[in-house]
Amino acid sequence: MKRKNIHSFVFLGGLLSTLFSLTSTANVEISSTLQTEIGITDKSTLQKVESVWQPEFNISISDSLDMTFIGRLRFDTQKNLGYKGDSFDAYGTLNGPVYEANNTDFEIRELYFDTQMADVFWRLGKQQVVWGQADGLKILDVINPQNYREFILDDFDDSRIPLWMMNAEIPIGDDDSLQLLWILDQSYHRFANNGSDYQVTSPLLVPQPVAGIDIASFKLDKPNNIFKDSDLGLRYSKFYNGWDLTFNYLYHYLDSPVYYQQLSNNSVAIDAKYKRSHLFGLTASKAFDNWTVRSEIGYSTQSYHLLDNDSQAFIDYEGIGNSKDLSSVIGLDWQGLEDGMLSFQWFQSRLLDYDTDIGRAMIRPRNNQIYSALYQQNFANETWKLEALAMYGVDQNDSSIQVELSHMLESNLKIWVGADLFKGNKQSLFGQFNDTDRLVLGFEWGL
Amino acid sequence: MNNSNPTSDSISRANSIARGIVTYPKTIVVISLMIMAALLSALPTLYKDTRSDAFLANDNPALVYKNKVKAQFGLSDPIVIAIVNKSENGVFNPDSLALVAWLSEQLTYLDNINSDRITSLATENNISGSEEGMEVIPFFEELSNEQASADLIWQQVSDFPLYMGSIVADNKQSTLIVAELLDENEVESTYQQVLKLIAQAPKLPGDEIHVAGEGAVSGYLGSYIDADAQKLNPIAGLVITLIILFAFRRFSPALLANVIIAASVLMTLGVMALVGVPFFVITNALPVILIGISVADSMHIFSHYFDLQARRPLDDKKQLIVETLVEMWRPITLTTLTTVAGFIGLYLAAYMPPFKYFGLFTALGVAIAWIYSLIFLPAAVAIIKPSASKSMVRRAKQRKHDKFAELMVKLGHVSLKHHKKVISFFGIIMLAGLFAASNLTVDEDRIETFHSKEALYKADKTINHYLDGTNNLDIVIEANETEGLFEPGILNKIQALQNFVLTLPNVKGATSIVDYLKQMNRSLSGGDKSEYQLPNDKALIAQYFLIYSASSDPTDFENVIDYDYRVTNIRVQFNKGSYQDTRIAIETLQRYITEEFNDSNSNATLSGRVNLNYHWIKDLGESHFVGLAISLMLVWIVSALLFRSFSAASFALIPVISSILLVYAAMVLFNIKLGVGTSMFASVAIGLGVDFAIHTIDRLRVTFKLNAGDWDKALAELYPLTGRTLFFNYIAIALGFGVLISSQVVPLANFGTIVFISVSTSFFASMSLLPALIKLTKPAFISDYYTPSEQSIMNSQNINTHPKASYSRALRSLALIFFIASASYFAFNQQAQAASSKEGIEIVNKVNNVDDGQQVTRKLTMTMIDKRGKTRVRETQAYRKYYDQEKRTVLFYKKPTNVKGTAFLTFDYKDTAKDDDQWLYLPAMRKVRRISASDRGDYFLGTDFTYEDIMLEGKLELTDYDFSVLRNEKVSFESGESFDSVVLQGIPKNTGIAKDLGYSRTLIWVDTTTWVVVRADYWDLKNKPLKSLAMTDIRTVDNIITRHILTINNHKTGHKTIFKFSDVNYTSKVKNSLFSKRALKQGR
Repeated sequence: MKRKNIHSFVFLGGLLSTLFSLTSTANVEISSTLQTEIGITDKSTLQKVESVWQPEFNISISDSLDMTFIGRLRFDTQKNLGYKGDSFDAYGTLNGPVYEANNTDFEIRELYFDTQMADVFWRLGKQQVVWGQADGLKILDVINPQNYREFILDDFDDSRIPLWMMNAEIPIGDDDSLQLLWILDQSYHRFANNGSDYQVTSPLLVPQPVAGIDIASFKLDKPNNIFKDSDLGLRYSKFYNGWDLTFNYLYHYLDSPVYYQQLSNNSVAIDAKYKRSHLFGLTASKAFDNWTVRSEIGYSTQSYHLLDNDSQAFIDYEGIGNSKDLSSVIGLDWQGLEDGMLSFQWFQSRLLDYDTDIGRAMIRPRNNQIYSALYQQNFANETWKLEALAMYGVDQNDSSIQVELSHMLESNLKIWVGADLFKGNKQSLFGQFNDTDRLVLGFEWGL
Repeated sequence: MNNSNPTSDSISRANSIARGIVTYPKTIVVISLMIMAALLSALPTLYKDTRSDAFLANDNPALVYKNKVKAQFGLSDPIVIAIVNKSENGVFNPDSLALVAWLSEQLTYLDNINSDRITSLATENNISGSEEGMEVIPFFEELSNEQASADLIWQQVSDFPLYMGSIVADNKQSTLIVAELLDENEVESTYQQVLKLIAQAPKLPGDEIHVAGEGAVSGYLGSYIDADAQKLNPIAGLVITLIILFAFRRFSPALLANVIIAASVLMTLGVMALVGVPFFVITNALPVILIGISVADSMHIFSHYFDLQARRPLDDKKQLIVETLVEMWRPITLTTLTTVAGFIGLYLAAYMPPFKYFGLFTALGVAIAWIYSLIFLPAAVAIIKPSASKSMVRRAKQRKHDKFAELMVKLGHVSLKHHKKVISFFGIIMLAGLFAASNLTVDEDRIETFHSKEALYKADKTINHYLDGTNNLDIVIEANETEGLFEPGILNKIQALQNFVLTLPNVKGATSIVDYLKQMNRSLSGGDKSEYQLPNDKALIAQYFLIYSASSDPTDFENVIDYDYRVTNIRVQFNKGSYQDTRIAIETLQRYITEEFNDSNSNATLSGRVNLNYHWIKDLGESHFVGLAISLMLVWIVSALLFRSFSAASFALIPVISSILLVYAAMVLFNIKLGVGTSMFASVAIGLGVDFAIHTIDRLRVTFKLNAGDWDKALAELYPLTGRTLFFNYIAIALGFGVLISSQVVPLANFGTIVFISVSTSFFASMSLLPALIKLTKPAFISDYYTPSEQSIMNSQNINTHPKASYSRALRSLALIFFIASASYFAFNQQAQAASSKEGIEIVNKVNNVDDGQQVTRKLTMTMIDKRGKTRVRETQAYRKYYDQEKRTVLFYKKPTNVKGTAFLTFDYKDTAKDDDQWLYLPAMRKVRRISASDRGDYFLGTDFTYEDIMLEGKLELTDYDFSVLRNEKVSFESGESFDSVVLQGIPKNTGIAKDLGYSRTLIWVDTTTWVVVRADYWDLKNKPLKSLAMTDIRTVDNIITRHILTINNHKTGHKTIFKFSDVNYTSKVKNSLFSKRALKQGR
């Protein structure tokens, strides 16, 4: 109830300022999109018939002050992806849907003010900030947590959970800049609910029930102090000799809880805690002829991984191993096709503290590699577009394929048909959804 | 006849020589030092020649002609002094003008300044009409302390076109004093004197004084580079000394290595002094290279000696020295011979004397290092008798390796375990390098040698900003007979030539005798502006000259016309001096002169600094690749002879080739141009890099035998000793050159960077790729090799031990070398040559010179209609702004909602060799994505315009097309607008460009009143009609001609796009922050 009140308050505030602006001389742009998508599973059942209305208000309050509000009203006739009755709450006090039921929810997606003071660009409010250069794979794009309601199938833009933060960008010279982020929002990843289609079951990510062992208790320890538990980010962007370079630093809570498991007398007590880490990153990209190189590297001082519950380390270390992690993505885009692009990415993550008992007991292998390939092709003056994205996990031999064909029927009306396929064994990242392949049909209408 | 075989002979000979050395060590050390001292005594006679003229042979026609011009007109590479005052009246205030007068006067007292050839407001005359006819009065005749007199001078000068831009800035804020030199060889001290003079000048707070010009550049360049090299060379030596100390933990090796370095460097310079070869600018790189090579020789000897000593601490040290020499003379000689071959290659291929001598004397230095390492070093060691460090002895006893040996063992382990991956990795590097060679650009700009913080650099930029420019080109015109220049026909031709020059890229001004004659004509015809033209009467022209000389100093014209009125000069000013910035102008101008100007009555010849620079840079790329091929070839032949195997020689070249190709890739990546400094890297890379491979192969032959033919063991054994030594050798060279990276001299820093990259690659390739390849192919040159002692036994039994050289393999290797060198060369040479017609160029220049505003803000509505009439509309907000080096454009999509937030940013560089940079922001990704700009012919975001069409905005690109004029035609549009136009045909310069652009041909209709393009037709690669573009609703906004509607029809698809510009504004401020990735994300 408490959160709802805060949201209602914020929403009201937003609405009031909107109205205020409307009545004053401010310049208001109102737009919205209505998107409907139908999902049909490979068992020929309806997975979703989801309509999303996303209104957007851009209000120019004065020459140097603008406000943006983006809301989202969602209605799904089916209940397969629903949230009602979450086992725990991933949102911070200031965040979360204003209204949520099984079939419907409404939330303030983004609400922020843009201003320029003392040559610094400020964006204050609820927003998304994206770092990094990789597509579909995240190393530095970890500022906003993610909603895994549809695992990775939803657009990141829709599945990212916007956070309340201060975002300042200080230009340095004509081409360089320094970005400072102060994130005052303790919201973390929201995983699909138990029983829903995209509930996470892979032992890589969630503790596995062991036959004969009951869960004695489950405790969630979530940071909740707005200031003490805030995250801080710094990014220096440089344009040097044709290279786009960024140097990143983020002091943050990891967005997934760490499940400590204490075994005693045939029962296990689960203690889920959010842990902090320092993330240092570097990105570089440049175009050479028809090729664009994108690369990203991130070093995390902490990363937590589940241990094999058959090992001694599991008992000694409460089921969790900790290691430094070095991850990188190298992407190559080839734009040599007429109106098309082929893109390849090699993602790898390596745990740096592995030569220990804990390391050997981790379910995750030391190295984790994923290859991805993306093909985009436009036809007929970009009225038709074919897009196919394939990802392949080398270590577990699992994969996902997403294909979509879309058509701009009118300036503001787009229709599409697509398929989302997973392959691999149930234990693996993509393979866990082997049974959830689907076909989608949809349209988006811009108002 | 002596039947003993040569190999056992050479061993015993080496043995006896070595014994001789250790028996009489003091004598040898003394003799060595005496020879060194003798050559050193010649050093003071070494003289410097840092002029850029030194890069051309003395009999080079361009240089000969330039000197002739200098003798004729007194025109040299002048020192240019600019006075800048940013106040309202600019320099036209009494104090600044007094300063000009003072400086002009004081300069005449400097020894090397030609006091008759100082050009400034204080020395020049105004030509005006008077009752008696013409008055030639100095501008400063009535200079007083009153502002009014300064105003009057401005009024007079601004009414005399000759001086505007050449010595006075159009905005009043700057004026020049141009001082010609008497002897360009003395320019260095003259430049210092001028600086001293300026320090004493009576200047007021508002005045800034800048010194630049080609004379100043030459004057400062030498001392600038010297100062830097003198700072860096000792640091390089120190770094290397520290590494040796670290490697052996002993002082004596560091000391002796430095003696070898000193011998090699100083004796080479001594020989140069003796034979009278000067120290050129690029000679500065010679010591660093010799330091690297000398240190390698001594490190190998010490490494082997200490290794023996550590293992057998009780043995007689002299005996150990003998053994070391017997074992090491061969690989050291091998590397010396191959390195010498590499530098001789540079000597043979180079066409510029400094490069030739650089190759020759570096080869000499390498040879000196070799002799001293094999004779002086063992003798000195025999006297000092150093012992291996305790830790080395301890490790030898325990048969343990130190950290570095372990590191190398680890490297070996990884490389051999993943040998196929290693091979593919280097394969990719080599392919990337070949590809990169096609994108290498030759360029050289002397001003870019200086760090951007240097006063001279800033002065150059300031002068080029305010005035016509500091880079001079002279066009010398010779008439056939005395007084031929009185002929109106010739003068008209000169006028046409001068006007043509002004249309060429980066040309900002040109002055000639025609300007004086026009001013005289105007003055004598009542001063009306319309009379500013050439008189059309030979007698009248002769009379003008007579009147002028009667009313002023008769020597006034000496710098533009000779005494016989037969030879004259057009001086052309460029505001940029780099090869790439002046190349097109020179080539176009030369063609114009040959085709249009030269006839039986008169002919013109190009001269001056810009022309000279063009001549010495234009063949640099070719010379680089030819030199590379010759060096590779020589190294290959020498290695083949030494290893007695063609394949061994080819293997030895692989690391070097991979390093050179990687350097090409790096140069393209970091936008380093192939210039005078950087083009030398290949010979250095070969000279230094091949040594690693030679040591590797030589050692492997031994370890293979020691391990009884076990390939894995033989390869593994390479790493602890040879690997460790090569590692220190590499670190010493890499850090030595690495020091150069910190140089203030930009080309030297670039040179340091690329040598660092190439040496690193050679080392790693020799230590990983080469063993990996050997592991994979198990070549016979390793397995069938016999150690000298084995060979002597077998020879005594009459067994033929030389593996039969396979000639097909040899041919294959030769073919490979040819392929790499010629592929790089051809890839590189794809760059186009200009061939537009003169009228074509004139019109294109007119089109490109139409003002399109420094900046613009506008709305752009894109309407896209398919063949069935279905329409999509997109509304965008666009901004464009010109910067120094580029044009930046940003486009924000506003409507419809589906594309709202999409944004597109480009940086379009003036330097056509540089790819544009482009970014696209897609709101669904929330990420600014870098996109490739090379697909110029791709359609822009669903429209019928290509990216190139969008980028050019109605301008025309001379580097892509050859333009010719077809006809004049009236164009009418449905809108009712009609234009008298000239039709240009553009044909892409080569098929590569045509493919890039997607057009095989284009016709362009240019309105002859406004010189804007009003219509264009395009043909596809199969020469079928592709698109037609019409520009309508043309009207001026803020005094700038603006095309508001662009309609393009695609004949192949039936699709049509209409661009409609509205709310166009050229005056409102366009913030720089709009052209940023942040702005793309924020949508504003």
